[in-house]
Amino acid sequence: MKKTIRVLIAKPGLDGHDRGALVVSQALRDYGMEVIYTGLRQTPEQIAAAAVQEDVDAIGLSCLSGAHNELFPEVMRLLHEKGADDIIVVGGGVIPWEDIPFLESKGIQKVFTPGTPTIETAKFIEQAVYERDGITEEVFSGVAPERIDHIGIAVKSLDEALPFYVNVLGLTLEAIEEVPSQKVKVAFIKIGETRLELLEALTLDSPIAQFIEKRGQGVHHVALGVTNIQDRIDEMKSNGIKMIHDAAVPGAGGASVAFMHPSSTHKVLFELCEKTKSKEEAK
Amino acid sequence: MDKQQRIKEWQEKTEQSMNRFPERKERFHTSSDIEVGRLYGTEEEHYPMESLGLPGEYPYTRGSQSTMYRARFWTMRQYAGFGSAEETNKRFRYLLDQGQTGLSVAFDLPTQIGYDSDHSMSRGEVGKVGVAIDSIEDMEALLKDIPLDKVSTSMTINAPASVLLAMYIAVAEKQGVGPEKLSGTIQNDILKEYIARGTYIFPPKPSMRLITDIFGYCQEFVPKWNTISISGYHIREAGANAAQELAFTIANGLAYVDAAIESGLKIDDFAPRLAFFFNAHNQFFEEVAKFRAARRMWAKLMREHYGAKNPKSWQLRFHTQTGGSTLTAQQPDNNIVRVTTQALSAVLGGTQSLHTNSRDEALALPTEDSARIALRTQQILAHETGVADTVDPLAGSYYVEHLTDELERKANEYIEKINQMGGAVAAVEQGYMQREIHHTSYETQKKIENGQEIIVGMNKFSIENEPQPELLRVDPTLGEKQKEKLQTLKAKRDQNRVSAQLDSLRAAAKSDDNLMPIIVECVKSYCTIGEICGVLREEFGEYTGV
Repeated sequence: MKKTIRVLIAKPGLDGHDRGALVVSQALRDYGMEVIYTGLRQTPEQIAAAAVQEDVDAIGLSCLSGAHNELFPEVMRLLHEKGADDIIVVGGGVIPWEDIPFLESKGIQKVFTPGTPTIETAKFIEQAVYERDGITEEVFSGVAPERIDHIGIAVKSLDEALPFYVNVLGLTLEAIEEVPSQKVKVAFIKIGETRLELLEALTLDSPIAQFIEKRGQGVHHVALGVTNIQDRIDEMKSNGIKMIHDAAVPGAGGASVAFMHPSSTHKVLFELCEKTKSKEEAK
Repeated sequence: MDKQQRIKEWQEKTEQSMNRFPERKERFHTSSDIEVGRLYGTEEEHYPMESLGLPGEYPYTRGSQSTMYRARFWTMRQYAGFGSAEETNKRFRYLLDQGQTGLSVAFDLPTQIGYDSDHSMSRGEVGKVGVAIDSIEDMEALLKDIPLDKVSTSMTINAPASVLLAMYIAVAEKQGVGPEKLSGTIQNDILKEYIARGTYIFPPKPSMRLITDIFGYCQEFVPKWNTISISGYHIREAGANAAQELAFTIANGLAYVDAAIESGLKIDDFAPRLAFFFNAHNQFFEEVAKFRAARRMWAKLMREHYGAKNPKSWQLRFHTQTGGSTLTAQQPDNNIVRVTTQALSAVLGGTQSLHTNSRDEALALPTEDSARIALRTQQILAHETGVADTVDPLAGSYYVEHLTDELERKANEYIEKINQMGGAVAAVEQGYMQREIHHTSYETQKKIENGQEIIVGMNKFSIENEPQPELLRVDPTLGEKQKEKLQTLKAKRDQNRVSAQLDSLRAAAKSDDNLMPIIVECVKSYCTIGEICGVLREEFGEYTGV
């Protein structure tokens, strides 16, 4: 479950310039956060009280009048007094660069000066909140699969199925080969950048034979093209995905492959598939 | 009237007025010795007399005076003020020495919101965005050795405008200058405070009363004073586009006119003292067109809708400031270039006075160096470029005339919508303008972030490790010093007189009497701005936003 971050955007002091505060509020909402905007002329007491009452994860303080050095630290002091030190506080406005170290020393986590893209502010808050809460699975740090390498289709007999693909659809049969490790015979049919992989069981205990017995012929798996397959397998495991293969096994066409267990992928059988370099270059 | 006849009469009238207000030079010419005439275009067979008119004549599209800058440049009026009254007085005298021709006072936020420096809400704000004024004592220090009968002063003050104007009148009296000799402007535009700038105090109804009280009082006693500066500047800074700036400003202007008429004033008695204040942003031709459209729209409304007879009531005279929100914190020297083109658009649009922003305003208040470069920018435009040598030089440009017509059309659509809502006051109370502006400002931000709009030095052509410029610091102990000063004053003044005046103020607030005379008495008795606004807060209540 993705956590919805709650943010209080506040205007401390007498400053009436709220264009920045309003734009940031809207941008954070569009990013998926819940935002409460205090309106103008809030005292540090009102801001700290509202933050606690609204149970926010973060506060954004906006000040363009030059009163930040007095008002921002006062908000921090009051949050501490209320035992709300865990709230992430950031600031923005017309704030001279030389004041930033002082504000940071008072606990303001980051000061965003004019010209900062709003997405940067949103990401900073998100990351700071996740770090504080020890949430890691939300932050995707790995390398995403690059393409659909192929779609696997279980058939009873390649001889019976192939004429449909080749003669009727007019696709090109690239190769037929046996993969002993999977106890299957496969036919590769090229279609654009990807392939259809027709699978026929070689033995009765082949996974394809079992699949057809349970569900009949049809789409069997989707193969995602990746690089550094072992790293990807480890990443999946660290994200709690159950793997059928903990290490890559040889697949058809000289590829290294590993299957994920459908129980942790919403019932789709996915295969991670890495084509070796020489094979790639040969293409 | 026949076109030729009209032009002939205009020429005669212009020659006559030149006896009193001669042009800057006997003869204007370019570097190649090409003679520069006063006005071009009227010799054309199809000159659009109805929509452009002649300079200084209805509908004023080409300018509010007949010779414009050939007689006198615009007033160079740099907005300044920070820290104590004494410090600001020094900066004023520096600017006057440097050739500035008018003063413009920035007040700190407590002053603008009617709090004394020792009020708890004033914490951290004393002297920050302008000068701190608590009582007439501070005002005397601010204006020390400045001849108030010779210098015109603009004061950016809105909700407590009556109080600051009263102080100005009282200080002038001490200098021996009568109110009839004073010239200057108070901003006094509360509607745009609700919409965009945020320094409101009271709800709309009593706020409008304070404004019309000033109109009435000045008409009688301070006749050369501009009683309001109806401001699009802050509406634009809050994120509006040019058409919205134009529309909402004029809609607000109409609301003040309606309120004044309702309070019993006659249009031609107060309309000549209404002034306007616009922004100059980056889209060069659109800005020029905006100023020209504004003059024409206002003239039509005053003459045709309100039936004003005095040509001075038809004239929209305006101050311009370059766009603060267009300045970048990155590579701040680039801002000098932005300010230059913005200032040029204001000059080509016929502004009466101009403030050019300093390069470092996205970072802090301007340093003395930055403020000087900003003033020099105007002086270079005036003295070196020749753009001021002929009247309305962009008239007749197909593009500029098209933009002028289109801005007028778009602004009129907004004004029509606002009229249907019951006028600007009702529209503000419903948050209409606020929503429109926010929508535009968010769209702009998105365009900047996805690179559809390029800001040089910020989302393109940026550099790593920028050098950090020197910035101005306001004395951090000022708040305490100002508090002490206030305590000393309170100890030495005649407390009975103070209480008596505040009681009279309360009584006047409950009645329909004009509040200005009693506010003048209050400030002379050393009542502070916080005390005066405190009484009015109790009587009028406070506005808390939409």
